[in-house]
Amino acid sequence: MVSFKGEVMEDITHTYFATQYELRKHLKRKRLIIAVILAVVIPILFYAIPKIWGIGFADTSESFVSSNLGYANMLIIICVALFAGDAISGEFEKKTALLTFSTPQRRISIFVGKYLAALTAVFIIVSLYYIITTLEAVQIYGINNIPSELVKSYLLALLYVCSVLSLTFFFSSIFKGTISSTLLSFFSLMMILPIVSMLLTVAGIEPWFIVTYSADLITDVFVQPSLMRGARGVQGGGFTEYAPDFGTGVWVMVGYAVILFIMSIIIAVRRDVE
Amino acid sequence: MSDIAIQTENLTKKYQNGVLALNALNIKIKKGDCVGYLGPNGAGKTTTIKILTNLIRPTSGHAYINGIDVNKNPKEILRNIGSLVEVPGVDEYLTPNEILTYFGKVHRMSKKAIDLRIKEVLKIVRISDWEHKKIGSFSTGMLRRLVIAQALLHDPEILILDEPVLGLDPNGMKDVRDIIKQLQSENKTIFLSSHLLHEVSETCTKVILLDKGKVVAYDTVDRLRNMSATQKIDVELLKLLTKEQIIEIESISLIKDFDIINKHLKIVFDGKRDTSSQILSKLISLGFEIVSYHPASVTLEDVYISVMGEETGVK
Repeated sequence: MVSFKGEVMEDITHTYFATQYELRKHLKRKRLIIAVILAVVIPILFYAIPKIWGIGFADTSESFVSSNLGYANMLIIICVALFAGDAISGEFEKKTALLTFSTPQRRISIFVGKYLAALTAVFIIVSLYYIITTLEAVQIYGINNIPSELVKSYLLALLYVCSVLSLTFFFSSIFKGTISSTLLSFFSLMMILPIVSMLLTVAGIEPWFIVTYSADLITDVFVQPSLMRGARGVQGGGFTEYAPDFGTGVWVMVGYAVILFIMSIIIAVRRDVE
Repeated sequence: MSDIAIQTENLTKKYQNGVLALNALNIKIKKGDCVGYLGPNGAGKTTTIKILTNLIRPTSGHAYINGIDVNKNPKEILRNIGSLVEVPGVDEYLTPNEILTYFGKVHRMSKKAIDLRIKEVLKIVRISDWEHKKIGSFSTGMLRRLVIAQALLHDPEILILDEPVLGLDPNGMKDVRDIIKQLQSENKTIFLSSHLLHEVSETCTKVILLDKGKVVAYDTVDRLRNMSATQKIDVELLKLLTKEQIIEIESISLIKDFDIINKHLKIVFDGKRDTSSQILSKLISLGFEIVSYHPASVTLEDVYISVMGEETGVK
């Protein structure tokens, strides 16, 4: 009979094995390579195009970094869809669950392992994106002009990865097909939630509870602090524009990450392999 | 310590679409037994196996492995089980070595043991040369061999196999049969679901016949054969039967059914010795030239058709 402590240790070990195994799969499927290419090519374009065409770079390093990181959001959504869209639904659709679930490990270990593997993969991609952007800023503006908010932005981007990943895991846990779960996650984050945000804004309601709205903080941290303090009521084009409040935005992202992760695990663990 | 390896108590599974797959199923399989699990499509064979391997939960009732409730402590019971359920998906971009290494780790095997055992099981299922090749290039039969290797990897006490020879060529079938016989000699408990009655009769000592989620027969293969054998007689005739003679056979009320293959007449009757004697006398009195007259040899297929026919109303 294994003690409670021994059981927990074994579950942690199984989670580690599952993470390792999933990462190996991401590598073998070349998804990681595709994402790495994206993370390298996008910031290089921001540097190479103005250089080649002689357009000239932004006046300040903040503007350069901010416009460059404006695409981090999109990159995160693409990568999460790549690494996690089929994480749970794929086990059921491709019937790999028939092998993995009939082994002496808790399903929670398998799913947490999958989550951690996807998280690691996307963290690597986002980190690479930030490193290249920083190196470009150093090259153009000098090391002394690198904005200190870059670290803050990086940490917010990682937090956003967690929330987006949890949302994608949630869809993956409720859908039977990999295509439907991946597409719904992708379009929710790329279109549906931003459209809802915009409609609420037009209606004069701040969409503070929508995670894609909170994601604006990733680039907003480079903007003036007055706008950062939840500057509500900025008039423009006949309706009020909103900027996410830092504290609220962070809590919303944490909320999405934690609540949806727990829900997806509960649903996935209880699903029968029919 | 109980000598029961697998047991179900009133095991019932009703799916969300209303299908009652298992209806208060009660089975007991002793340690070291090799039991064939037979039944028509939809009888509940795979459902039973999925509950035993913790892939689905029963609606009510219990399933036990070595006396432990599968639902209450699945991790503990799955340590002792090697299973093959339906046609599992395998990640095609990985190699057998990578997949088996992962499962070896899950089974708490040491790196050295995993490396050694991978070589052994791949040799047993005859795909040693493919250890480091991507699974995407494997044929159906090779995939089947790989998942059998996965089931054997941790040298389990109990093997639960669902259609293990599915997709295998005759050589592959023979290999699996030999593997099962070898495991039997090592006193492993084997629970084998199959559509291939020949496979089951070749490898298993006992058989469970399942229909509509219930056990309709559970006995040794020999005893089941004998039960059916007493109701059949093989008659060898000197000459081929004429149309008139066939009509005469049809007129013998003691004969329930009969089948003619060349000079052989297979008679189905009520199984009583008196009736057998009366049928023989009648045939002789009608002028049939009989070479031999004896109880028929019965295959497991005959038993299956006889039992399932009565249950399903086919016969």
